[in-house]
Amino acid sequence: MDRRDFLKNSAALGAALAAPAIITSRAKAADSLKLGCLFSSSGTMANIEGRMNAVVQMAAAELNAKGGVLGKQVEVLVTDPSSDWPLYAQLGRQLLLQDKCSALFGCWTSVSRKSVLPVVEQNNGLLYYPLHFEGEENSKNVVYLNSPPASSVLPALDYLMGPEGGDAKRFYMLGSDYVWPRTINKICKGYWQSKGFSESAWREQYVPLGFSNFQTIVNDIRKFASEPGGQPIIVLTTVGSSIPDFFKEIINQGIGATDIPVLGLDVLEADLEGLDTAPMVGHLNCWAYLQNAVAPANDAFKANWKGFVEKSNLAYSPTTVIDPMVSAYDGVHMWAKAVEKAGMADPDAVRAASAGISFDCPSGYTIKMTGENNYVSRGVFIGSVNDKQAFDILWQSKDTPTPVPFSPYA
Amino acid sequence: MMGWRRRLAAGALFLLTLAATPVLADDRALSELLAPLCAGASAERVAAVDRLLDAVETGAAEPAWALRALEAVGGRRLVCAEGGVFITSGTGVIDAVTSAPGLADAVKAQGAFVDLRLRPYLDMGSAVLRLLASPGGPASGAALGELQKRAKIVPPGLIERAAAEPANAALAPGLRDVMAVAALNDPDPALRIAAIGRLAEAPSERNRTLLRDLSGDAALTSDPVVAAALADGITRIERWLTLGQVAASVYSGLSYASILFVAALGLAVIFGLMGVINLAQGELIMIGAYATFLVQEALKSVLPGLVDYYLLLAIPFAFAASGAVGIAMEVTVIRHLYRRPLMTLLATWAISLLLINLVRVTFGTQNLQFNVPPFLNGGTHVFADFIVTWNRLFAIGFALAVLAAALVVLRRTSLGMYIRAVTENRDMAGCVGVSARRIDLTAFGIGSGLAGVAGLALSPIYTVNPAMGVNFIVDAFMVVVLGGVGSIAGTAAAALGVGMINVTIEPMFGAVAAKVIVLLLIIVFIQFRPEGLFAVKGRR
Amino acid sequence: MSGLDDVLIGPRRPAPRRGTAPMVAAVLALLGVGVLAAGAGGAGPSAYVLNLIGQIATFGMLAVALDLIWGFAGVLSLGHGLFFAIGGYLVAMHMVKVTFLATGTPPDFMLFMGWDRLPFYYAGLESFAYTSVLVVVVAGLAAFAIGYTAFRSRVAGVYFAIITQAFVYVAMLLMFRNDTGFGGNNGMTGFTEILGQPLADRRTVAWLSGASILAAALTLGGSALLTGSRFGHMLIAIRDDEARLRFLGHDTLWIKLTVWCLSAVLAAIAGMLYVPQVGIINPRVLAPDLSIEIAVWVAIGGRGTLTGAFLGAVLVSALKFLLTAVAPDLWPFILSGLVLVVVVLLPNGLLDIRAVLASRQRRGTP
Repeated sequence: MDRRDFLKNSAALGAALAAPAIITSRAKAADSLKLGCLFSSSGTMANIEGRMNAVVQMAAAELNAKGGVLGKQVEVLVTDPSSDWPLYAQLGRQLLLQDKCSALFGCWTSVSRKSVLPVVEQNNGLLYYPLHFEGEENSKNVVYLNSPPASSVLPALDYLMGPEGGDAKRFYMLGSDYVWPRTINKICKGYWQSKGFSESAWREQYVPLGFSNFQTIVNDIRKFASEPGGQPIIVLTTVGSSIPDFFKEIINQGIGATDIPVLGLDVLEADLEGLDTAPMVGHLNCWAYLQNAVAPANDAFKANWKGFVEKSNLAYSPTTVIDPMVSAYDGVHMWAKAVEKAGMADPDAVRAASAGISFDCPSGYTIKMTGENNYVSRGVFIGSVNDKQAFDILWQSKDTPTPVPFSPYA
Repeated sequence: MMGWRRRLAAGALFLLTLAATPVLADDRALSELLAPLCAGASAERVAAVDRLLDAVETGAAEPAWALRALEAVGGRRLVCAEGGVFITSGTGVIDAVTSAPGLADAVKAQGAFVDLRLRPYLDMGSAVLRLLASPGGPASGAALGELQKRAKIVPPGLIERAAAEPANAALAPGLRDVMAVAALNDPDPALRIAAIGRLAEAPSERNRTLLRDLSGDAALTSDPVVAAALADGITRIERWLTLGQVAASVYSGLSYASILFVAALGLAVIFGLMGVINLAQGELIMIGAYATFLVQEALKSVLPGLVDYYLLLAIPFAFAASGAVGIAMEVTVIRHLYRRPLMTLLATWAISLLLINLVRVTFGTQNLQFNVPPFLNGGTHVFADFIVTWNRLFAIGFALAVLAAALVVLRRTSLGMYIRAVTENRDMAGCVGVSARRIDLTAFGIGSGLAGVAGLALSPIYTVNPAMGVNFIVDAFMVVVLGGVGSIAGTAAAALGVGMINVTIEPMFGAVAAKVIVLLLIIVFIQFRPEGLFAVKGRR
Repeated sequence: MSGLDDVLIGPRRPAPRRGTAPMVAAVLALLGVGVLAAGAGGAGPSAYVLNLIGQIATFGMLAVALDLIWGFAGVLSLGHGLFFAIGGYLVAMHMVKVTFLATGTPPDFMLFMGWDRLPFYYAGLESFAYTSVLVVVVAGLAAFAIGYTAFRSRVAGVYFAIITQAFVYVAMLLMFRNDTGFGGNNGMTGFTEILGQPLADRRTVAWLSGASILAAALTLGGSALLTGSRFGHMLIAIRDDEARLRFLGHDTLWIKLTVWCLSAVLAAIAGMLYVPQVGIINPRVLAPDLSIEIAVWVAIGGRGTLTGAFLGAVLVSALKFLLTAVAPDLWPFILSGLVLVVVVLLPNGLLDIRAVLASRQRRGTP
């Protein structure tokens, strides 16, 4: 026998045999409650989405350590939709219909949620969605764990337009070109109009997703800022790697928070990971959780995460936690409470039982669901970048404002 | 920028603890000056900054001492506690008034948060005090820039004093510009005209806005001489601003072109020589950036003194890392596919997938942190709002150096001659004794290594994570195809053209449309000249 | 250019083995009828499985379409996602319009753009017949425009591949824009019915799936007939030596254009069948790497063998669906490993194992 041919055949055979071997390795405990995860650990979203899988597993481990839910162990099925939107839909279908998951946790971008939406609606599933987003949606099959824009963005704008925030009068909106930035900016414009600003007070600019060459745009921003009319701010709704790349450019062109403050609506602790934040001190963001939130639950959460990452030897930063992680973590616990209350994991029963469920969120607030809509009432934070790659808490809401899915300004 | 400013502050703090002790007033009065800075509503703290500056102006407090206090406020290190006002630092606690060491245990808290209302006053106050405390010092240029930004809130008396310091002589004209802003509203028309003249001498959007604001004020411009001076000033500024905009566009175009060029160069070598489409080129760039990162980390732990030069020291490592990966690719995969270029396309696509995921599994998905060396941070103001940023200048210089090196290797060395020979006629080169196989391997290594060096050059500008390479591949290919296969000069010309057209279109139609238009232009161009701008005459 | 083409397109290969494609097409047709019967009868596999089979069938059809132009005419397109998307977007526009007319609920993109009516190019799209005609016409015209200019300037090989890749990239950038009226980055979703049938219904799922399988069978069978004909021999001749064919007085431009447009239309029909089944369309289908993946399917199965292209698509997409769910960490490694093994060791695709085995046997017996 020819050696070369043998090699060829065994290689082909190996490829053919590899697949089933892996499939059978998937353990399937018969009597467990399954949670499906739809977060990409590869592709363009992997940078921030990947760690979400781990936090859901961590929350499930916490539940299991206390004896599980309804006496059953909670099993987390992790998938990788590879930042490929139709694949989110397909894997969602698979998790719901084939794996019989009780609930799905997943999606970061609006488009991935929109992809899964018809799947959970047609098959009556439950999707826990941990991101803040453009709002204007209230599906009975989605639990919106984070704040709609009216609850988080508008307080931050108010702050910047008030005396403490520097009396902002002019607004440069810079966003990635897709629905979330466009809707947010539309809401902002409506809000400013209601405050008596004229259209000349703002400028809108969109860049392609993944855009990184901000030189010309920052020149334009400097020009806008020097024009008369009062203190300018930047409302930044770029996403992904466009966030650090934008900050690098404004730092190099000498723009600091005292010149033109940036309200970075999608800027997370994780986005600061690769940056020297000393020249960025004072720029703002707003979320329902900040890493520096002062609460015993937060200390416990951060310690848990550190332990979990180190124990499982995961390639995520053990010291960086971000709002969507906390939201997903809250989601798992709220789901567990609803299941306990309903006595079963059927989506309809869980939905009915969700009204009135509350949970001590690491943010320090007791978050709750009212049953009026599928949103969770969360506290709101405005953060200010400090020189330690994190956000100081500049302002936080007194309690948890009622979420308004449909903004009056949109 | 912040780095050395902070270091300077630390140094000043050290000196002050040794020597500076206020002698001009009693400690209690000074303590009362500082106490309101500790905490409270920002309006009150702003007023406290003003009072502190007043005290310096009247001689009740020393500039160096006041500077130390203001910087402590900005760094959240000024803390009021039982027994006085204290400044905390990494090494301990000192009394803000007497500089005596304090009890570290008593003062643990962080100072109060500094909001956006207070911060401009702190920055302005620190800047003017720095000019007084250490005239002509290394930070004085930055301090002047700060004052120019905040011309509306500066205390004129202190500025005048700073301008009078002999050591500040170089800064005096700039400081007078700052004072001119205040003089714009002066009741004396002669002073107003002089101020207008001064502002027109320093053209910027900000000054134009100041003059425009003034021209809207009928009471101050009713004098025809003032009005004429104003109109003339605005025209002069606008002329410079236009020039500045052109310069800024050219600079943006150049820097974008350099990025395109360094990203595409390795590809041009490989594609030109072997007709191999290397879709893993972006990942080789990524590997170069990771190698740079590893060198930085190694320097940090082994030779911390050299960390600032890691970008230069890492060049051979970035080249070697990507070159080694490239050679491994060539030996294991590409070698078998030379007669099937379209298959190399798929194979290199698979390799790129593999590399992304290997790096992802090894390093994680998060962005890498590069300590950008001080000489690449920030930029310099050239004229009329035209800023040259160092990191982009580095990219431009780097691109030129790489272009020169590549041209020298190809045109002046025997290796270059062999490469050109194989590019032009593989069979004939073989006949005269050039081992095409060895040249292929070498060239593939060089092309990959160049991608690695590109990763190094791009790391101060772009975010580095496993998926970063994906962003470059389509652009890089278009540049290579447009330039003409196998022509490095063509690649450079194509990069320059694409960069310039892009920055010209971008302000008009937005970034998305600019990209679309440029791509369509290239496609149309290739229909008419499939061989690109500079075609190498050869049979392949 | 002849020398260049020679190198770029690859080694001369024997004419493709005939016979397997019609057989596979027949088996597929039977399967399609079976699925339709399962839908009508209410028995058989679950809606999930039917839907999955239907989706995979559209991928198979797409791969066969690409193989026609790449495997037979030697022209590699790395932009077939464009035609797939044309079909997908048009049928999505049809469904959006039907839903809008029936329920009065405007699609998301109209809400966030603040529009109160659909843009003019939605006119008439409530008719399924018109939509179908439009799918063929638009895809055909787009392909003609791209193909005519490129083939006439004799842009070929690697250059053509890069240009098509640039086209699909440009289309993606354009579709990201929200003001184009195609839903921007989110695309279109929330479809409720097609031809009056509710999409959530198992019967509709089965019909769509069956239609996809039958379409794939037709494509496979038809392509087998076409490539076996005189026209097919011309194609192969173009692939192997276009210059000589031109020299002999054949107008290769129109032969290439015909099969290029045919391939584009087939891809568009595949897209038209895919979107109602997956329930969403957005610019992601225009991503350059997805178009490369289509070529990967064809290469894995075996370029120039219709059955190979079809089975390659079925194998890879089935593996993808399975492994991204079951072994998400391993999937990228398995995919890249599979491609490398095939490209290096099995130059004619996985189906070539047979030939390799046969040659081994021949050599094994003295």
